[in-house]
Amino acid sequence: MSTFELYRRSRIGMCLTETLDEMVTNERLSPDLAIQVLMQFDRSMTDALENQVKSKVSIKGHLHTYRFCDNVWTFILKDATFKSEELNEPVKRVKIVACDSKLLSQ
Amino acid sequence: MATNVSAVYIQVVDDVISKIRDEFINFGAGESALAELQAMWEMKMMQAGAISGNIERPAPQKNVAPTPVHDLNVPYEGPIEEYETPTADMLFPPTPIQTPLPGTDSGMYNIPTGPSDYAPSPIADIRNSLDLKTGRPSPYMQPPSPWMNQRPLGVDVNVAYVDGRQETDRGSSQQAMTQNVVNQLHKGSPKHGQGSGTSKVIPDRGRPALLPQSDGVQDDYDDLFPFQGVATEDYNTPGDHVELRTPTPAVATPKPNKDEAEDDEPSLNEDDDDDDELDDDQDDDEPNTQHLVLALFDKVTRTKSRWKCTLKDGIMHLNNRDILFNKANGEFEF
Repeated sequence: MSTFELYRRSRIGMCLTETLDEMVTNERLSPDLAIQVLMQFDRSMTDALENQVKSKVSIKGHLHTYRFCDNVWTFILKDATFKSEELNEPVKRVKIVACDSKLLSQ
Repeated sequence: MATNVSAVYIQVVDDVISKIRDEFINFGAGESALAELQAMWEMKMMQAGAISGNIERPAPQKNVAPTPVHDLNVPYEGPIEEYETPTADMLFPPTPIQTPLPGTDSGMYNIPTGPSDYAPSPIADIRNSLDLKTGRPSPYMQPPSPWMNQRPLGVDVNVAYVDGRQETDRGSSQQAMTQNVVNQLHKGSPKHGQGSGTSKVIPDRGRPALLPQSDGVQDDYDDLFPFQGVATEDYNTPGDHVELRTPTPAVATPKPNKDEAEDDEPSLNEDDDDDDELDDDQDDDEPNTQHLVLALFDKVTRTKSRWKCTLKDGIMHLNNRDILFNKANGEFEF
């Protein structure tokens, strides 16, 4: 079963990756097991985002760069604002990476 | 929002740990490794600020004898101090060493391949890097080998160049002269070897003829400063292409700083297409984090220069905060 490895780039994903790297280097884990852990992380993270999170955000900004390659959109926005009920964040530059939700395998 | 980000992360951690417990047991890694994984993961997240310090778990269902839950408010001491748990800094040398060449297909720069390969070939890289059991950096760092393999080539060029510079004479046609001298030197001093790239010593000064030189730096320059090797002449100075290496960390592309050593080499202008302007902005305002949104898209449309997209299930990292969303609407002006 394939997973979106997208979320491994988040902080929680990077922490997990670093932890697994250290443990494999110290031979506490086999590399195969580390891969299994990461795949499970992909699934768990996707589930959590789908089921436990209920907020809606609106994004506005100036599109500096757009790219669509291999079913992945990458946008780079300048002077963007992120708004939701509890959020109002202006950022000068943000990168948005989005995978196709229809490709999520069941 | 009812649940805050920390709580969601804790739940993800718990979920992952509980689901891989069986795998750990089947693989023979054991509960202790699992507990260590969990503890280290949570500790890193706390250090990164992804979760808050007081972690409240719903009643943990522990079938086995409760493994001592580490007090996460103190630094992680490790199991018995059998081995020094290396810090990330020790294991993964600092950035400058590991930048790939511009020519290598890093595929890291933005999103290279389809969803299954999304994060730049992490599975392949994990296997490669972890299999070798060297202190390889995390998969998001380009393995240093492509760059390092190319080093001898860079040094090779420099050997010839060094020979040319060693000439203290001024000649009319310095190109031919240099070539001749190089050939003579190669013949004359056996220790030059096959133009071996590793030779960094100053070659024999017993050259047959002094050739006049009419270009470049004053030839006494070398004598003024003891020649220290050709490191500065490496075209692929570390740090030049950090941007290609990892998209997320906020690192600017350093300006080429090798100009002083190379006087008669034409500049390659290899950094012309880099996003210098973007990186400058980044340096000034956001020294540590790049704002990033990772999500899935439902629809992306465009009308003239107005772009609209609907996203879902995303993690946003803005202003050093993590924010999760279920749905997002974007409207961008190109």
